[in-house]
Amino acid sequence: MNFKLVYASLSITLKEFYRSKASMFFVLLFPIILMLLFGLIFQDQGETVYDLHVRDLDGGVNSQNITEMLGNTEIFNIVEVGDEVGDIEDAKDYLTEHKLNAMLVIPEGYSDGFDAIMIDRFLGIPTNDTVDVVMIYDPANTAAMTKISILNSILDGVNKAATGMPDVLVLEMETTVSDDFDYIDFFAPGIIAMSVMTTALFGTVTINTELRQKGILRKLATTPLSRSEWLLANILYQLCMAILSTISIILIGVGLFDLNPHLNLFLPLFVILNVFAFSGIGMLITRFVKEAESAHAAANAIMFPMMFLSGTFFPLEGMPDFLQTFAKVLPLYYVNEGLRAAMITLDEGTLMTSTVVLIILAIVIFILGVLLTSWKHD
Amino acid sequence: MPETIIQVRDLVKQYDDNTAVNSISFDVNEGEVFAFLGPNGAGKTTTVEIIETIRTATSGDIQILGMDVNKNRTEILKRIGVMPQDFSSFDRLTVWETVQYYARLFGSDVDIDGLLKLVNLQEERDKHYVTLSGGLKQRVGIAVALVNDPEIVFLDEPTTGLDPRARRDVWEVVKDLKKRGKTIFLTTHYMEEAEVLADDVAIISKGDIIAHGSVDGLIDQFCSTIHVAIKGAGPGVKEIADEMSLVSESLGNGNVQIEADNNEQVVEILNSLKNKNIGYGSVDIRKANLEEVFLKLTGESLIDKGDPK
Ligand SMILES: Nc1ncnc2c1ncn2[C@@H]1O[C@H](COP(=O)(O)OP(=O)(O)OP(=O)(O)O)[C@@H](O)[C@H]1O
Ligand SMILES: [Mg+2]
Repeated sequence: MNFKLVYASLSITLKEFYRSKASMFFVLLFPIILMLLFGLIFQDQGETVYDLHVRDLDGGVNSQNITEMLGNTEIFNIVEVGDEVGDIEDAKDYLTEHKLNAMLVIPEGYSDGFDAIMIDRFLGIPTNDTVDVVMIYDPANTAAMTKISILNSILDGVNKAATGMPDVLVLEMETTVSDDFDYIDFFAPGIIAMSVMTTALFGTVTINTELRQKGILRKLATTPLSRSEWLLANILYQLCMAILSTISIILIGVGLFDLNPHLNLFLPLFVILNVFAFSGIGMLITRFVKEAESAHAAANAIMFPMMFLSGTFFPLEGMPDFLQTFAKVLPLYYVNEGLRAAMITLDEGTLMTSTVVLIILAIVIFILGVLLTSWKHD
Repeated sequence: MPETIIQVRDLVKQYDDNTAVNSISFDVNEGEVFAFLGPNGAGKTTTVEIIETIRTATSGDIQILGMDVNKNRTEILKRIGVMPQDFSSFDRLTVWETVQYYARLFGSDVDIDGLLKLVNLQEERDKHYVTLSGGLKQRVGIAVALVNDPEIVFLDEPTTGLDPRARRDVWEVVKDLKKRGKTIFLTTHYMEEAEVLADDVAIISKGDIIAHGSVDGLIDQFCSTIHVAIKGAGPGVKEIADEMSLVSESLGNGNVQIEADNNEQVVEILNSLKNKNIGYGSVDIRKANLEEVFLKLTGESLIDKGDPK
């Protein structure tokens, strides 16, 4: 590996990039648009307080407690529904009539049931009894779904509290509604992961198919530049692009949407590994798919499943098991998880897993790239 | 005795069921301009790129600078200069930067401005490649092929698609290179180019070398006809040809073309015109060219088949 040749190749590709206003525009445009889009969507949601209609059929101390607690989360604005709803069926009618998407009904006997369980627990009598609250909702409505998931996590906290670990309730509340992180914080790592992947994959495919069509690769084949030096120069070029888009995403996030990420060395590490893996894949595509159009189609075929199945836009939790399993073989999944851990949760286990998986992947792809691609054609 | 610098023996290149090159053998001597002349699809590029080590032969023994193309790729590449067919380069690098980049790839500290002067591109030094005309782009290609001061320069159709003026400019550069002692391997489908530049010509058609020799040698060997065109003549010219049993053709307006076989017959025709007191405007005497050699050998025309113009 002659690094002078790598450097020479990198500097001419960067020069070309710098002189092409169009390519500059696109490298920066894509991440910026995504960021603005998600920023605007979640900026609102971050501050939104959901109306939650509650019909308390019980009217006891415990039912008032839970209603009050839900109101205290500041996510829910509790709207108490009065006597016109006498049972579950009434509640459904009421929902339809008032065009509401969800209503929480606390059935009669909730307080007594709750007390009974607590007393059993206190006396150490084992019990499998539960008390129920009923959420009536419109399944076609996404806001209702959001309310349900928030409600679930709160009740989860209550349950843990009820089993005798009161401080867990507080902890659970912190992660769900902490002021430290807005929704945008959860999406920014995903947007970085995806922009970097797209730029690296498509950038590599575009540059190399174009150079092949123009016969420049053929000319390069007659120089001492080796295929691995060219591969490395390409990857470093894409890394520069990745740094540009990552910085612009973070700047826009911080400047416009109160993005508040942790900044540590894992961020550049995952960006670098992301670039290595996906430029390498792009290089392999151009090796085996010679026509520009089919090469782009192949890149799309790789990109789309990654976009939708590796947790960038949609949380994996709601997906069928086989898709969740599938996600775990997608490289982008580990970039997403890793960046999220690096910028938000600082979860060491995730950081380690992602680092190891991505380092191995990047090395394997680079080696494949060097072994499988050759300047010679036929 | 000239040194052989490229030696090709029984070169075969097969693409699936298409035999692009069909067991050809030839030598190129040091310091000469060797022209590989043939129509589209004859197998020129295939052959050249195998010699340049960037394609692999199906079979055959190819030595260049005394080295086997399959074994000494790196060493060979350092000592040859290549301008591929349809040369193209990075759109938004300047001419100077383009040449500099390739020089760096060879680790060469060649005088770039001197090189640009050689191919007559000093004025375009700071222009972006994409803004150049076709002829200038080709000259960038030649400059780039020279950055490592190569012993052999391969030019694959360096003038295809250029207008006559730009073509002549490229020719001047090639002549200059020859003067500097470089061996030049040129492929072309312009017979005129081979006639002007080549010391040695191999005519290739459908993967076979059908003739090989100097331009004059080939013409003498395969098509010694001398064209005598008599213009604005009175009647009786055609009869002279008939008496000598030579092929002739009336082109109207007293223009007659006679095909003579040798110089003596030309003199005889002119003498007959004088003896018979046949007046004429002008006489144009021309030897056959490579185009006709090719036509004679293959029954096909060399230039731009399938080109609507
Ligand atoms: N990579 C390839 N795969 C398959 N067939 C090929 C390939 N390259 C060339 N051929 C075929 O080999 C034959 C010779 O092609 P080649 O490019 O060597 O001709 P050429 O003399 O250079 O023609 P031109 O004047 O058009 O450049 C043609 O029939 C062509 O279709
Ligand atoms: Mg060719």
